[in-house]
Amino acid sequence: MKSFAYVDAANEQEAIAALGTQRGRILPIAGGMDLVGLMKDYVAQPDRVVNVKRLDRTIAATPDGGLRIGAAATLIELVEHAGAARAYPALVQAAAEVGTPQIRHAGTVGGNVAQRPRCWYFRNEEFQCLKKGGPRCFAVDGENQLHAIFGDGPCHIVHASSLAVPILAYGGTFRVAGPSGERDVAAADFFQMPDENLMGENVLRPNELVTHVTLPPPGRVRSATCEIRFKQSHDWPLALATAILTMSGETVRGARIVMGAVAPVPWRAQAAEAALTGQAVTEATAGAAADAAVRDAKPMSGNAYKVQIARTAVKRAILKAAGLPTV
Amino acid sequence: MASWPAHPALLGTPTRRVDGPVKASGRAKYTYDLQRPGMLYGRILRSPHACARVLSIDLSAAERAPGVKFAMPVIDLANPEPLTHKVMYQGQEVAALAAETEEQGADAARLIKVEYEVLPHVATVEQAMRPEAPKVFPDGNVREANVDETGDVEAALKASAHVVEGLYWTQVVTHSCLETHGLVCEWSGDQLTAWSSTQAVHGMREGLARGLGIPQTSIRVISQYMGGGFGSKLGTDPQDVICAQLAKGAGRAVKLMLDRKEEQLSTGNRPSAYARVRAGVDADGKLTAFDAETWGTGGAGRGAGYPLPYNIYQIPVRRRRHKDVYINAGTQRAMRAPGHPQGAFITEVVLDELADQAGLDPLELRLRNLPAEAPDEMWRRYFPMGAEKIGWSRRHATGDPTPGPIKRGLGCAANRWAGAGSRRTQGQCEIFPDGGVTMRIGTQDIGTGTRTLVKMVTAETFGLPLDQVVVEIGDTQYPFAPGSGGSITVGSVTPTTRVTCEKALAALAEKIAPELGVDPAAIVASNGRVHAVNDPSRGMPWKDACKRLGTAPISVDGQWETGLSSVGTSGVQFADVEVDVETGITRVRKIVCVQDCGLIIDRLTAESQCYGGITMGIGYALFEDRILDRNTGQMVNPNMEFYLLPGPSDIPAIDVTLMDQPERGVVGLGEPPTISTAAAIANAVSNAIGARIRHLPITPANVLAALAEARARERRGASGSPQATEPGGVQGAPPINIGGAR
Amino acid sequence: MAPKDGFSVSRRDFFKTAGVGSLATGLLGPVELGAQAGVREVGPGAVPIQLTINGRRHDLTVEPRVTLLDAVRNRLDLTGVKRVCDRGACGACTMLLDGRTVYACSILAIEAQGRDIRTVESLAAAPALHPVEQAFCEHDGLMCGFCTPGLVMATTALLEKTPNPTADEARRALDGNICRCGTYVKVLEAALATKGGRRG
Repeated sequence: MKSFAYVDAANEQEAIAALGTQRGRILPIAGGMDLVGLMKDYVAQPDRVVNVKRLDRTIAATPDGGLRIGAAATLIELVEHAGAARAYPALVQAAAEVGTPQIRHAGTVGGNVAQRPRCWYFRNEEFQCLKKGGPRCFAVDGENQLHAIFGDGPCHIVHASSLAVPILAYGGTFRVAGPSGERDVAAADFFQMPDENLMGENVLRPNELVTHVTLPPPGRVRSATCEIRFKQSHDWPLALATAILTMSGETVRGARIVMGAVAPVPWRAQAAEAALTGQAVTEATAGAAADAAVRDAKPMSGNAYKVQIARTAVKRAILKAAGLPTV
Repeated sequence: MASWPAHPALLGTPTRRVDGPVKASGRAKYTYDLQRPGMLYGRILRSPHACARVLSIDLSAAERAPGVKFAMPVIDLANPEPLTHKVMYQGQEVAALAAETEEQGADAARLIKVEYEVLPHVATVEQAMRPEAPKVFPDGNVREANVDETGDVEAALKASAHVVEGLYWTQVVTHSCLETHGLVCEWSGDQLTAWSSTQAVHGMREGLARGLGIPQTSIRVISQYMGGGFGSKLGTDPQDVICAQLAKGAGRAVKLMLDRKEEQLSTGNRPSAYARVRAGVDADGKLTAFDAETWGTGGAGRGAGYPLPYNIYQIPVRRRRHKDVYINAGTQRAMRAPGHPQGAFITEVVLDELADQAGLDPLELRLRNLPAEAPDEMWRRYFPMGAEKIGWSRRHATGDPTPGPIKRGLGCAANRWAGAGSRRTQGQCEIFPDGGVTMRIGTQDIGTGTRTLVKMVTAETFGLPLDQVVVEIGDTQYPFAPGSGGSITVGSVTPTTRVTCEKALAALAEKIAPELGVDPAAIVASNGRVHAVNDPSRGMPWKDACKRLGTAPISVDGQWETGLSSVGTSGVQFADVEVDVETGITRVRKIVCVQDCGLIIDRLTAESQCYGGITMGIGYALFEDRILDRNTGQMVNPNMEFYLLPGPSDIPAIDVTLMDQPERGVVGLGEPPTISTAAAIANAVSNAIGARIRHLPITPANVLAALAEARARERRGASGSPQATEPGGVQGAPPINIGGAR
Repeated sequence: MAPKDGFSVSRRDFFKTAGVGSLATGLLGPVELGAQAGVREVGPGAVPIQLTINGRRHDLTVEPRVTLLDAVRNRLDLTGVKRVCDRGACGACTMLLDGRTVYACSILAIEAQGRDIRTVESLAAAPALHPVEQAFCEHDGLMCGFCTPGLVMATTALLEKTPNPTADEARRALDGNICRCGTYVKVLEAALATKGGRRG
């Protein structure tokens, strides 16, 4: 790890003031679960690190019945928040599966959303990949079993955040604070594909922070997240999916379906939503929606198996949301 | 035949390991934990390239960096032999330095300027075996062994009722010791003390002496507690010599512990194993022939041999053609039962395929082909025992017919190991006039419980409670004992301890025999007393006996003798798995293990060896894979995040039955329990999903590809013998690589 | 308490390097200056920090980049928990921060100020054993022992919160810890059998 200076920001204003405009030179640290590893591997080499743990960490209902989560809230605080679990089960289910107890105890909501990709070419210093300003994506003709099955590159990471998936599905908004004030960015606009932003994964400028996540009132929906990972103890998901169903009796009147770990951004599956709308949820309709979700998948040389897994994640998220058995 | 102990007080009981309290409480000082006065931290700069020629090494900036006390090249560019200027794999040592803090050392290492001429490399066996491949060594990338042939294979196969043919393979895995390799070196004049995380204190002394060109008398190696070796810490490594040189150069003690990435890259691995097999059975389910063309890689310079067919089942006709393949990767080392897990996996999977072809229960096929029962070949007894415990009678034919995505299956496999002791082992025992006893032996406890076993045998011999004897191990100042590899330790140290303590007891008996009026040869010790063997009343308390020594303790040396130890273990394992065919994810529900190891010294630590071997076998079966980027030869998962090791939620119920055979004597147990786990799991997965698993690890990609291939074959309406599955030839499966896909 | 290693930058050296001005001009260049007014920055050289470890205050001087694990192990010689993966993936470094398990390898020491830090050394004074440690010994929930203190801490945290956990709760609580020797079965037995694991 390269040495760096440290600013312990007492509040949002101090944190913003301590950040700068040059990418990578000054980085915020919250739980450190992502950044410390990045620095140890010399992938991040900031000159200054700014502690943002003292920013707002409250999790509270909004006046209109939504939920506002301070970005500095830890994952365990979210998991243990009874109100959040009741109203936004898909979010809390995703949070409960992140990493390990130790990671959930330190890692924050903001950090989870803004974490960098786990792509092993990105994380290992030897590979000067596109995302690090290098000439090529090593995954294309290399070891791409964990890489994206959606998107056209040129970088084939999968987005690392599990929370991003339900946040997008619930239609969440990020409050972004920077030197010129604050702005609200819809989750749908927050995450960016590599052709739009190769060096980052979202719209945050180097001197901006996510300070809050706001979820609109859930309404009368049924929602669930299904994560599929290989190693049960601790592993990154091979795929996950959130399904949010607006029901009218037994019939789905509207659906929001988002997949994770399959693309450089949380990947909305509108075809699946359309396929499910107007149907009663059964193994067959959930399966048909899941087929639709992965119909346009473009697997790489070694990750076609992930298409099947993503399909299963979607199907099971739908069944789980509907309260049906998943296997 | 071991006749001792006739009435054991300690041996065979579940005895808590004696160093449990200091380890559990964090008080035990491992090499990684040591601090010496003025100690510096060593850091090695390694090649980022899979193959390169080092043109220059400029240490000047590093030498001027804060905290740096000494820096040195490891690649000697003054050496006239140009081959020595080449680095052969990512992670090979290039230069080193010592600094005041770890952080300063890491900073400074990045200031070392190395000019490399990057050379063509090979990262996979497939690449290495191409005719036009760059040569890892001037002689080429393939070393062919002699053909080993018994009988007429073609004729035997032709005469077989059923023949299977397939390509099978296993991946490269790393030892992943939790305590990385490393040591602390401190010089006092010409005398070197090295605290080392090693499986062989005496071996390390010998290796350091050779590497440094100094006499062994100038070196003391200490290893009191060490955090796992599994075969990778038997030798002396470059970092060992480097650390001593840094300490000499800096004139200060130096600690050099590798980081996790270095550990993954350069401290050994289990080689891959590939086999193109044809095998047959006759109409009675008797194995007829086994023909194997095999290859594998142990990296840049070591072989990849393994036993095949695995030498348990009786196969009259066999042929084996083997090639070692070199690639630009870190070299293999002995890893827990070297060669056996690979050989067992391939053989046992072939057996299940043959059973399916012949329409036989796989267990029945095994029973028909086992050798006659012998003391160390008791599979005939163990298979039915294991079958009972796993519920084999409910096993369905290949392919679980249960509707839904979750399929269950059962599989089994056998193991064997030698595990004899080394006659070179020596010990020393002292009995003090105050009743104290010290047993010294230059072995080491690598987590297996050696310290506990030595203490138990010592206490048993003297009839004393455990806490009244002192055991000193892990130091070259104690008599020679071999490295802890090959499961030889228990068979080496317990007989030596027994012999040495018996000699000491005999000397004590000489002292008190006249007073007791008993023939010294008829004096024994038990229950805290020294007494006539046939008349416990003719004796005295231990402490009183020792008082008779006056001022001079008894001090005797002993050497290993036959008697207490034996050779040969056998065991079987059964796996009960469930596979989610919609995700390809396998979950092991239960492992049943029936294992013998002769005379059990400590039931608790012996059972732990089984749990441990099985747990490691689960990692080998499902998760672990050293993945090299096929284009650069650089490892993409040199960590513990994507090098997957099983954790608590990945562990099934494990049912261990240890067969105590006191009449046989002690046999090592460290290795055998890990041999058959992956094979049993693979067969269980195939039984669950109705598609054959022919390679490891059993990742979701592997399982889904096997299912897809089975479906494709069904569509083609293919029948008869299954086609050889070419790696990379299956839709959805990744192209072949040294570390396949997850 | 003075740093034990004797290599740390002295307090005077720290003031030489840690001024706001020196940082702003030295590292960031003029472009950033406008945004830097009022920023209280320390480092990158060693800075004095205060950690409360096992109920005791420790003053030490470390660079901001030094992790809690390295500060505790290398500077304070509390070597009970280990450095294994050094990337928050194995749990050998598990400490309790305000009662919750964390990976000390992935937390900066400077960030742990003001928190209640507990290492395995807090559990019992030698030669006594904490009930969890005792249970690990009784069930042979350890082999080489290198992962053990981390697992002991994870088990302790579990039992303090959930004195009578189910097997599944125990597994989930220990899922952040890796053991290469394969002690899990025995560790889980120990966790479920621990009596009086709850502190106080």
